[in-house]
Amino acid sequence: MQAFVDRLITDGWFSGIPVELVYVLVMFLFGAIVVFAFVMPLVPLTVWLERRVWSRIQSRVGPNRVGPQGVLQGIADGIKNLLKEDIIPDAADRPLFAFAPYLVVWGFVATFVVIPFSSALIIADLNVGILYLTAVTALVVVGVLMAGWASNNKWSLIGGIRSAAQIVSYEIPAGLAILPPVLLAGTLSMQGIIHAQGWAPWDWFLFYNPFTFVSAVVFYVAALAEGNRTPFDLPEAESELVAGFATEYSGMRFALFFLAEWGNLYVIGAVVATLFLGGWQVPVWTDNVVLLNLSQFVVFFLKAYFWAFVAMWIRATLPRVRVDQLMSLCWKYLVPIGFTNLIGTAVWMVIWPQGNRVVQFGMCLLALAILVQFFRRVRFHLRRAKPELYYSPAI
Amino acid sequence: MTSNGVGRYFRNIKEAVATIFEGMSVTFSHLVRKPYTIQYPDRVPVRVQDTLPFRYRGILEVDLEICTGCLACERACPIDCIVIEAPKDPQTKEMILKRFDIDIAKCMYCGLCSEVCPTGSIHHTREFEGADFSLESMVRRFVKEPVVAYKVKKDGEPDPRIAPILERGLRYIEEFAQPVDMKKVSPAEKTAA
Amino acid sequence: MSLAGFEVEVQRDGDEGLTTEEMTLNMGPQHPSTHGVLRFIVKADGEVMRTAIPDIGYLHRSIEKIAEKVGYHGFMPYTDRVDYVSAMQCNQGWAMVCEKIAGIEVPRRGEFCRVIASELGRIASHLLSVGTMVMDIGGYTPFLHALREREKVNNLLEELCGARLTFNYMRIGGVAWDLPAGFAEKVTAFLDQFEPLIDEYNDLISYNKIYVERLANVGVVSVQDAIDYNLVGPNLRGSGFKYDVRRDEPYSVYGELEFDVPVGTGEMGTLGDCFDRYMVRIKEMRESCKIVRQCLRMMPPGPVLAKVPRKLKPPVGDAYIRVEGSRGDMGWYVVSDGSEFPYRTKIRTGSFAAMSIIDKVSRGLMIADLVALIASFDVVAPEVDR
Repeated sequence: MQAFVDRLITDGWFSGIPVELVYVLVMFLFGAIVVFAFVMPLVPLTVWLERRVWSRIQSRVGPNRVGPQGVLQGIADGIKNLLKEDIIPDAADRPLFAFAPYLVVWGFVATFVVIPFSSALIIADLNVGILYLTAVTALVVVGVLMAGWASNNKWSLIGGIRSAAQIVSYEIPAGLAILPPVLLAGTLSMQGIIHAQGWAPWDWFLFYNPFTFVSAVVFYVAALAEGNRTPFDLPEAESELVAGFATEYSGMRFALFFLAEWGNLYVIGAVVATLFLGGWQVPVWTDNVVLLNLSQFVVFFLKAYFWAFVAMWIRATLPRVRVDQLMSLCWKYLVPIGFTNLIGTAVWMVIWPQGNRVVQFGMCLLALAILVQFFRRVRFHLRRAKPELYYSPAI
Repeated sequence: MTSNGVGRYFRNIKEAVATIFEGMSVTFSHLVRKPYTIQYPDRVPVRVQDTLPFRYRGILEVDLEICTGCLACERACPIDCIVIEAPKDPQTKEMILKRFDIDIAKCMYCGLCSEVCPTGSIHHTREFEGADFSLESMVRRFVKEPVVAYKVKKDGEPDPRIAPILERGLRYIEEFAQPVDMKKVSPAEKTAA
Repeated sequence: MSLAGFEVEVQRDGDEGLTTEEMTLNMGPQHPSTHGVLRFIVKADGEVMRTAIPDIGYLHRSIEKIAEKVGYHGFMPYTDRVDYVSAMQCNQGWAMVCEKIAGIEVPRRGEFCRVIASELGRIASHLLSVGTMVMDIGGYTPFLHALREREKVNNLLEELCGARLTFNYMRIGGVAWDLPAGFAEKVTAFLDQFEPLIDEYNDLISYNKIYVERLANVGVVSVQDAIDYNLVGPNLRGSGFKYDVRRDEPYSVYGELEFDVPVGTGEMGTLGDCFDRYMVRIKEMRESCKIVRQCLRMMPPGPVLAKVPRKLKPPVGDAYIRVEGSRGDMGWYVVSDGSEFPYRTKIRTGSFAAMSIIDKVSRGLMIADLVALIASFDVVAPEVDR
């Protein structure tokens, strides 16, 4: 990216403008284009997929009328929200009320700067990549607290405070769970972590040693909690607080909160794929750089989306935890386990600096065994209930 | 259930993982099951109204050809949604049906009126789509012009236009249970198993 | 000091000058989780509640007064609306009290039809109660699975009497329609596929660690409290007290049927907590399946409706009967003055008593627990207000 801009400057495109300004403007423009071209279609797609997955799990059909199989449902919802009346309560704090959704969206969109879509497609390969990501997602806390307070509504306030406590607490296990892969890769940069892994499952950090395996689970749980997803969706606990901190919001402001939440699903998936699943790594199957990058992009997208699908599946299955149970889960279970993983990985690196192939293959087999057991249980449930089967996702 | 004790701690983790695993396998198995939804009104193989059972208590309808003007339905209705005007013609001494209005917005679809009709003239249809934009359309007026009330003939109905209507009406009220005088039921029948 | 119109009490905590305030929250009549239009005025200290005062009357429709206008026969559709989630048992209650005061006998087959309809209605009601409880805790999927099964029961009852919610199936002296052709096979097919689904429901959510943690040791009602506050039905049985009107004061043909009365056992926490009440309802669904199967086997042929005069004029006096509704023992009381309209009707419902104990049990719980508590008592607003 930088090389390209340098070439443009030496070709004389921006004579008379200071170099730094050119960098800043072009980078911003490029970042904005990426965000709007990629993120804006991504969120309606995620919304549609979540609603379809939810519906099939719940024995119903889901949106299937707006566009073929309902794929344009997210866009229809967006248009509907734009056309709605913008209601601001009389006693609400107007500047804070108006500003809060934007903070939340900033916290979400700014993460796309460091997401590595392929070996050449990354807006900025910061050498503190993963740390930047953790820092920027903390902007969401400020936005949510602002929304809860500015609504001048006790239920919103409770929702906002719960959310702030939740996100801030779960930063710790998330940070602790990021550290083992960082230790193994030796760098905080996203591309660096991916380069330290390989394309085959046994080269992923997920199966490197049992500590990173548990670390992946800890990170995923903590990331779900940070993203306000069930089982940790107390701030928007529908049955308790109507919509929690977003109760008083309507129209596009409301939609922005949930845009950030659904988009965050993808970001969580992307980070898990980067840290633990080898990112965009594919075996080098062609000399054509464009094709290779395209295949890497597709592989990364699928890996990230798989984790988004798992998050939707978990949301459909599990009930909500209560606030004190949430705190106890974080501080009593996830943080000690996080520390254990960190120390374990460090010790492992001292004993086996190049990694232990036997353990890696063994972990792959273990994961396979868990999958096999899972599908055996699925078959058991299908046998017992004897339902009418319908395999096609299109209905 | 205390959280003290190392054993309790690890058992919590194990229980959590095991039950969540089981729950997720159940929900995954649902992904391949047929949804239970009926995609009303357009993506159904048969019109929904035709799939409803015979006894379905939809919107009321009156077959005025076989209405005897006995006013039993008006008396039985607990919510006073039926209004009938059936004066006796002073010259011919026949009952004339001048007005038969049913307010389907008030009706609570209880079926008490159709139970007491002697010919099955007032009956529930299988229609349920009664939504409309005006309140006046909620009053169904069944008398277009005053007609003479029907008289049940002892040897069946000769008129070929009315006979099928009467047959359908009688079939409708045959579904209802016929009351029996409990004094005439033998004690053996009362305790049969 | 007031915050957007709410009154806040300011308490000074000791001499340190630390001011704590108790928040007064209004869990108003429009709220996604109160079951119907119920209102609670909650005084909370942060997340922990101090009191939760119920405010009822939003669904009062003067049903008892309407009986004095429409007469004995005409009141039957109104009884559906007393507890519209399980309407069959309310029909049965009114029919039985009129038969008691007028001395009418019901044919044997009619009694069996009544029991089958009541028990199917009980399954439907418990499915809804269990489903909404899980939904309030946050599990959206088990709610829809429970409703899917309830739809199947509704389909069966639609075939039987023509309506899905307000059945108006029973009449004074029996039932209005006999079982249609093929009904027994359809009911048996439904029960055969329903019983494994209760096991699947248990696998999915009942023993889920998060769910159990939400419900265990929450809202413990001791047996003495339950009796003092007049709890009935699964609320009472959840505290360990084995009382069921169908077994202890049998009516209709329940005396000849074999079924178990499940009680709470404190298996996941304390005896009498929310989980026990939930589990009692799940087990009761299984018992109802057993009862329906027995009735289908034991049904004799014969009439289902006794002849009752169109204008029923019972002798002067009063009568009280008890029916085991889905929410417990429902009491039906009618006073007759000899005319065709009752002088006074009174309905005693289990949800009304359950509302009264919520304040006591909710002290010290969190707001999230209040939702679980109301759901576990299976309070439905139409029963509370009538």
